[in-house]
Amino acid sequence: MGQTPHIAVIGGGSTGAGIARDLAMRGLDVTLVEQGNLTHGTTGRMHGLLHSGGRYAVSDQASARECIEENRVLRDIASHCVEMTGGLFVKRPEDSEEYFEEKLEGCRECDIPAEVVTGEEARQMEPHLAKDIDKAISVPDGAIDPFRLVVANAASAQEHGARIETHSKVTDLLVERGEIVGIEVEHGSGPGKRVHGTAGGTEEIRADYVVNATGAWAGRIGDMADLDIEVRPSKGVMTIMNIRQVDTVINRCRPKGDADIVVPHETTAILGTTDEEVEDPEDYPEEQWEVDMMIDTLSELIPMLQEARTIRSFWGVRPLYEPPGVGSTDPTDITRDFFLLDHEERDDLPGMTSIVGGKFTTYRMMGEQISDHVCGKFGIDADCRTADVPLPGSEDFSVLRDYMDEFGLRSPIGRRSVERLGSRADEVLKTDGPNPTVCECEGVTRAEIHDAIEGSGSDLNAVRIRTRASMGNCQGGFCSHRMASELHAEYDEAVVREAWDELLQERWKGQRHALWGEQLSQAALNYALHATTQNRDRDPADGDPVDFSAFDAGRSRAGGVADADVAADGGTDGD
Amino acid sequence: MSDAESPDTDFDPVAPNTGEDFEPVDVFPDSDDFDLRPGADSCYKCATCDTNCPVAAVDDDFPGPKFQGPEQWRLKQTDDDYTVDDSVMDCSNCMRCDNACPSGVPLSQMHNTARGEYVSEQMDKLSVEYVRNRILANYRTSAFFASKVPRLANFAMNFGPARWVMEKTLGVTSERDFPEFARQTFREWWAERGGQATSRENAKAARNRRGLPEDADKKVAYFHGCYSNYNTTEVGKAMVRLYEAFGYEVVAPEQKCSGTPMFANGMLDDARRHAEVNVSSMSDLVERGYDAIASCTSCSMALRQEYPELFDIDGIEKVAANTFEAVEYLRIHEDLREEVREAEVDGDLAEEFAYHAPCHSRNQGLDRQAVELFRDLDGVGVEDVGDSCSGISGTYGWKEEKYEKSMQIGEEMFEHMEDADGETGMTECPTCAMQMEHGSGYEIRHPLELLEAALVE
Repeated sequence: MGQTPHIAVIGGGSTGAGIARDLAMRGLDVTLVEQGNLTHGTTGRMHGLLHSGGRYAVSDQASARECIEENRVLRDIASHCVEMTGGLFVKRPEDSEEYFEEKLEGCRECDIPAEVVTGEEARQMEPHLAKDIDKAISVPDGAIDPFRLVVANAASAQEHGARIETHSKVTDLLVERGEIVGIEVEHGSGPGKRVHGTAGGTEEIRADYVVNATGAWAGRIGDMADLDIEVRPSKGVMTIMNIRQVDTVINRCRPKGDADIVVPHETTAILGTTDEEVEDPEDYPEEQWEVDMMIDTLSELIPMLQEARTIRSFWGVRPLYEPPGVGSTDPTDITRDFFLLDHEERDDLPGMTSIVGGKFTTYRMMGEQISDHVCGKFGIDADCRTADVPLPGSEDFSVLRDYMDEFGLRSPIGRRSVERLGSRADEVLKTDGPNPTVCECEGVTRAEIHDAIEGSGSDLNAVRIRTRASMGNCQGGFCSHRMASELHAEYDEAVVREAWDELLQERWKGQRHALWGEQLSQAALNYALHATTQNRDRDPADGDPVDFSAFDAGRSRAGGVADADVAADGGTDGD
Repeated sequence: MSDAESPDTDFDPVAPNTGEDFEPVDVFPDSDDFDLRPGADSCYKCATCDTNCPVAAVDDDFPGPKFQGPEQWRLKQTDDDYTVDDSVMDCSNCMRCDNACPSGVPLSQMHNTARGEYVSEQMDKLSVEYVRNRILANYRTSAFFASKVPRLANFAMNFGPARWVMEKTLGVTSERDFPEFARQTFREWWAERGGQATSRENAKAARNRRGLPEDADKKVAYFHGCYSNYNTTEVGKAMVRLYEAFGYEVVAPEQKCSGTPMFANGMLDDARRHAEVNVSSMSDLVERGYDAIASCTSCSMALRQEYPELFDIDGIEKVAANTFEAVEYLRIHEDLREEVREAEVDGDLAEEFAYHAPCHSRNQGLDRQAVELFRDLDGVGVEDVGDSCSGISGTYGWKEEKYEKSMQIGEEMFEHMEDADGETGMTECPTCAMQMEHGSGYEIRHPLELLEAALVE
């Protein structure tokens, strides 16, 4: 074999990162490009369910079998991203008994461990369940952090030599002599880690093969080479509760329907979801009634949700794909299976395969299949090792240690930090300097923030998804400026300001759909605090850089400020 | 649900969120493990609790009530791998955070529950700290034995070498003087006096004197607590005589410690045992029309707030709803203000008083009642020494490692006492009284004693 083939992977979600890791581990040269942060698309906008397969056990048994298989793999290779909460399919008196039996039978057919528990037993496991529930089926559902998982996949790919470019949008597919030979990308801030204010630029990345793993955006990439990829994006709303009302995944046991799942996720619980086809994966209406409907419907299972605090809501778009000719009208009928579209076979345009459909839980399996496919193109016979080699952070590691003493952290903060960092805890948390808590809601310390900055540059949203800082009940009200300050020294004032602005904007975005009750109080307090102590309402220093050293000499008695034409006193004193 | 959906909401922007709707879930029906995470929903992190925390003000290592309460509960999970941070043992349980919170977060309930969990699951039961705390929390037991031999106890407990040993081996500060034990306990006095029968006669006579119907339904159950029983029996006696003078029949039902020092030390099993006795005897009386009256503001606080927050005992809600502080009850049911206005005090108690409102009285909204009530009383002056915490917080200031902090917290109160006109102190709380006496050398009296002097023939 000649030179190592170079593969360009488009899309930094779970699929793209999983493919990049797999190919890099098989020894190929890989460049992954992502238009935003890692998880920018659908991956960062899901409810974090690690499927047992139970949800598909009646309607789509092939998917169900894949789910339980991958569920077991991920518990092993991504242990620091997974919390095995267990799950329940809860039947209310009005739900069909027949379907309950079908679900149970379906789980058994797909080798999903499933047991019936009585209503009383279910309420003993989850005291906030409605009093009148009939019974439930317990299955090995879990919670998984998609951010951590994708970051770990990307880190592993990098360890195996891959190049990861975030904030790099594909602007064109390079087609030469009837073949795709690469991509043209527009870097937001120069190659490498993102640093605000760094000049961007266009780069042509030539590749021996291109993988389009852009999910709901796959059609757009296809358009660049006149390929018709019929992805049917379908939006779903998810609402984040301030606390965990349940510690088990709660599913409603009925055929299909909106608002039928609650996933305990870290400190929060995520309610999901709806299923409605949209035209454009980036521009669709986000409507309050969707949130209201979801809270109302799920209150039938967990009544306290009706009055509980929500901290934000977000929408994601599923990258559903249906082979031509099926013609489902309802998006819930579209299969959750994934498809490899080899554009050579399909459109007579060699050099690229698109992967569409599928779901988060089976991202690794999708990565394995497309990697096999790509390797096949080059006659490479390398085994897939992604099911056996743990991700960075999930190596053998005893979590039963006394972090408080070891790292000098308060008990629940140490515990949370170590759960997030997994086997990287020692490397990150053992610092010589003081290690104050930066985000109090989620228990994130300075050491963890610094580790994230090292990994992602000046992008505070990238720091956020790595650490959970600013994702708690104050939604960054009390820690955004602290996170920004941690950038200082390495990055200058203008970079820090820009990163800070961007984080605040992102935090406000999701809170817009939660502005009532306690979260409205929180938002009002945040606003007042930011306006009165940080000039966030109208910052005189926002804009041209301020020469702060001009103020060092203080105010002279004669009036005016030494060496500067600035009225530091607001113009009330002196001339 | 959001406002968008229900425009006809009954939301009233002027009604504060009192947190009253919040009901913790009894996770396991037979235990006292509550899931308090939902209480964190009310917190918007303003940190007013932290700025009102007297311990955080003097102890840089104490992370404050916001962390102890809503943050820790939200970060914690119900599985056993999540432990309670040991800093919860540095909280003095003054409960000021409850009052400070503008949003109804059940802070003290969170602290008490976390502390209980810490002590029962994480604390070494053979440690000196545990043994010391258990002894301090069970003051009633020590007092019970001491009261059998009060003279010997008074000598032994303040005998220098013995105290030195206590500090070195148990960590009980030798800086403080142990309270003196009465030679005759309140209950001994009560029995000797003829108990309920005598009280019924006295009340009848007073009703006749006052022109009230002889069978007027005026009866109270006195929760004297440990301190009025074993130490300041004059407070208990004043309560009985005062209430009888207003025509109330008093009973002194079987009772144990209110639990206050046990909550503060995380000894929830002990507290529960005592609470069961108290609730059982009080609820019987409440059923029969009695109201429960306490002369110690921490005792009334325990029965009113901590009991229903921490325990699920038959009748506990009813007892809580019918418990009152002794002066408060008379202000509600009698024209106390007018009677005080017409009265005059001379002799022993015709003094200028430096009055300190205990933190637990504040939480019941009683911090101004003594000052306002006695304003019109001839012969005495009462001056408020400010709204700081006395610093002793029951057993907190008795711990060797906490003593200095306790005195630092009390500094402000001591200064104000010094500046006040009088050289006699006044407060409702027995341990605040210890601290006031310790820091100023003043003699400390209870408002009931002054009311007795003013209103009882």
